[in-house]
Amino acid sequence: MALVALLAIGVAACGDDDSTSKTGGAVTYGKAGFTTVTIDAGAPVKIGISSVISGDLKGLGEPIVNAAKLAGEGKDVKGHKIEFVVKDDTCSAEGGASAAAQILQENVVAAVGPICSGAVVAAQPQYEAKGVTHVSPSSTAIKPTTPDRGQVFQTFLRVTYNDSIQGPAQAAFAKDKLAAKTAYIVYDTDAYGAGLRDAFKAAFVKGGGKIVGSPEGYEKKATDFKSIVTNIQNAKPDLVYFAGFYAEATPFIKQLRSANKDVKFLAGDGVKNDEFTKGAGADAEGAYLSLPAPVLTGPAYDAFGTAYEKATGAKRDASPFVAESYDAATIIINALNKVATDSGGKLSIDLKKLNEEIRKTNLDGAAGKVTFDARGDNTGGAVPVTLFVIKDGKYIAAAK
Amino acid sequence: MPSVFLTSTSFWVDQFVNGMTTGSLYALIALGYTMVYGVLQMINFAHGEVFMLGSFGGFYALTWMGGDDIGGPMIAVAILVTLIVAMATSAAVSVALERIAYRPLRNAPRLAPLISAIGASIFLQYLVLDRTDSEARFYPKIFPDGRFGAGSFQIEYIQVFLIASSLLMMFFLYLIIQRTKMGRAIRAVAESPSNASLMGVDVNRTIVYVFILGAAMAGVAGVLHGLFFQTIRGSMGFLPGIKAFTAAVLGGIGSVPGAVAGGLILGLSETVGRELLNEIPGVSLPNQWRDVIAFSLLVLILLFRPTGIFGGKVAKRA
Repeated sequence: MALVALLAIGVAACGDDDSTSKTGGAVTYGKAGFTTVTIDAGAPVKIGISSVISGDLKGLGEPIVNAAKLAGEGKDVKGHKIEFVVKDDTCSAEGGASAAAQILQENVVAAVGPICSGAVVAAQPQYEAKGVTHVSPSSTAIKPTTPDRGQVFQTFLRVTYNDSIQGPAQAAFAKDKLAAKTAYIVYDTDAYGAGLRDAFKAAFVKGGGKIVGSPEGYEKKATDFKSIVTNIQNAKPDLVYFAGFYAEATPFIKQLRSANKDVKFLAGDGVKNDEFTKGAGADAEGAYLSLPAPVLTGPAYDAFGTAYEKATGAKRDASPFVAESYDAATIIINALNKVATDSGGKLSIDLKKLNEEIRKTNLDGAAGKVTFDARGDNTGGAVPVTLFVIKDGKYIAAAK
Repeated sequence: MPSVFLTSTSFWVDQFVNGMTTGSLYALIALGYTMVYGVLQMINFAHGEVFMLGSFGGFYALTWMGGDDIGGPMIAVAILVTLIVAMATSAAVSVALERIAYRPLRNAPRLAPLISAIGASIFLQYLVLDRTDSEARFYPKIFPDGRFGAGSFQIEYIQVFLIASSLLMMFFLYLIIQRTKMGRAIRAVAESPSNASLMGVDVNRTIVYVFILGAAMAGVAGVLHGLFFQTIRGSMGFLPGIKAFTAAVLGGIGSVPGAVAGGLILGLSETVGRELLNEIPGVSLPNQWRDVIAFSLLVLILLFRPTGIFGGKVAKRA
């Protein structure tokens, strides 16, 4: 019930730009185990990165790691080098928890990530217990900033936008621009897929749309979607809505298109990746995808993009959330420089002060403006969701 | 013709064929599990990876021959070559596995080769993920999209091909086991390795044959999977591996007809089972239930027949 109520608030808040997710009611925090970390003279300041760097979703996670590292290039904290501690969270709950344990063991002062919501939810209690603030560039699910336990995690913040914004924006697009009256939902059963499913479903039904068939969940690594496709054929929806990642969206759309060339396909940020257009080829043509970010332009993005392309050899828009990751690391490094106190070469960092400083962020970053609300959601963007359509293998911004 | 079901007849035909397709793949892979178990009483958990590597071997062969550009009668030749390359790849991997990971542990406690198999499985999976940069590979689409049949009874060409070639492979395997000298040796070793060796059967060589035959089936399954689902990746062997293992247990591990029956039953209960329950008014089970239903069936069957459907006497070994 609580979730439904929050969704309704999210939908209502979607309309006006500056108060996106200042969801009603006072925010209460759990107890965070803040300490003061001392760094010896000459020792580096360690920042954790929890991302997926192996397996099917490496194409999503690796660029995010590279972008975060880029933010540390040529920078220091009061004369101390910055060292990144990168751990693989495999984009899963178990991986998120184990990467958190490994990162926290290394006495990091803050962290970037985890990048997948499923991993975030599993990792949050550990970061909170150690008082280590972590900023996710890409976790969009509703749960991380509206946890089941009621108390909000003080140590979690994110640069990207909550799916209580992405879901309704997708639903509005489906209804107004795609003229879809009925939708069939297919989703990844992790926190991200299930959260997006709920957000989309609530908004789509509220807008007068109808969900046909029962939403179909699948586990990561699934390749056999034949039975789901037959059910879709039977339900004859106007639109197939997919809440998951590109690794499964690719075989799914191939199987869907071999049976049905006409039904519209709409998915979220987990699918918007060059791996999807490359893999699905002609079958991806005409697919609609949303990204909870404004169309990225501006001098900060260009400067980042140029540096990123030079450093990695990859295109800046080949996979999402790289600019967000760069900003997340930048936010942490900026705050560190403000709160770290130097006494005779020894650095002392009060993690509580660091947390407060990060929460006060007001950054014109590569991915747009970043400010945080009490829950840790980004409230900086004015037009946070962009919709794309795939044409000739490229993502073209769809008419708003 | 009015249907007794709420949904159309063509829906049921489609779901039945989907179940048969998935089931045939499970059955082909399950044969490898069951045959190895038959002779060694060991679960070859790396068999899912043998399937995956066969799929990759076939993929590279097919791409090398021209991929999407193959047309007309060349399609048949290309598929034949692809199948042979895939079977050879799988067989080579499987023989290497037996040699390196299992044979040295033949007389070790039973848990040792099991752990070795799991290790080999993880090793192979991540080796391929690393070599492919964790990216998927896409089988060329050489089958036309069309369908056979008329009215409600229509089947996609590729599904006809997949089911037919699986059944054909299983028939070949049956002939080899029942009608050849090699088959007789395999049956003898399954019965009792020590007695077989006393009768002049080369046990080591026979075990290698078993691995080759099982791997060849998995290689065929790999190509069929690739042609049908089009997407292959390093991690693709895991789920079908688990499902095929389940199918082998369902049918009675060690039994060759059991693996075939188990595979088809598992495939059908996953797809048709859920849809049948959904016919009950007020019931609407999502996709996640396919495994719940399939595995409930497994538990039920094992409760009443602990050795599986075709599992007769479990060979006792001192």
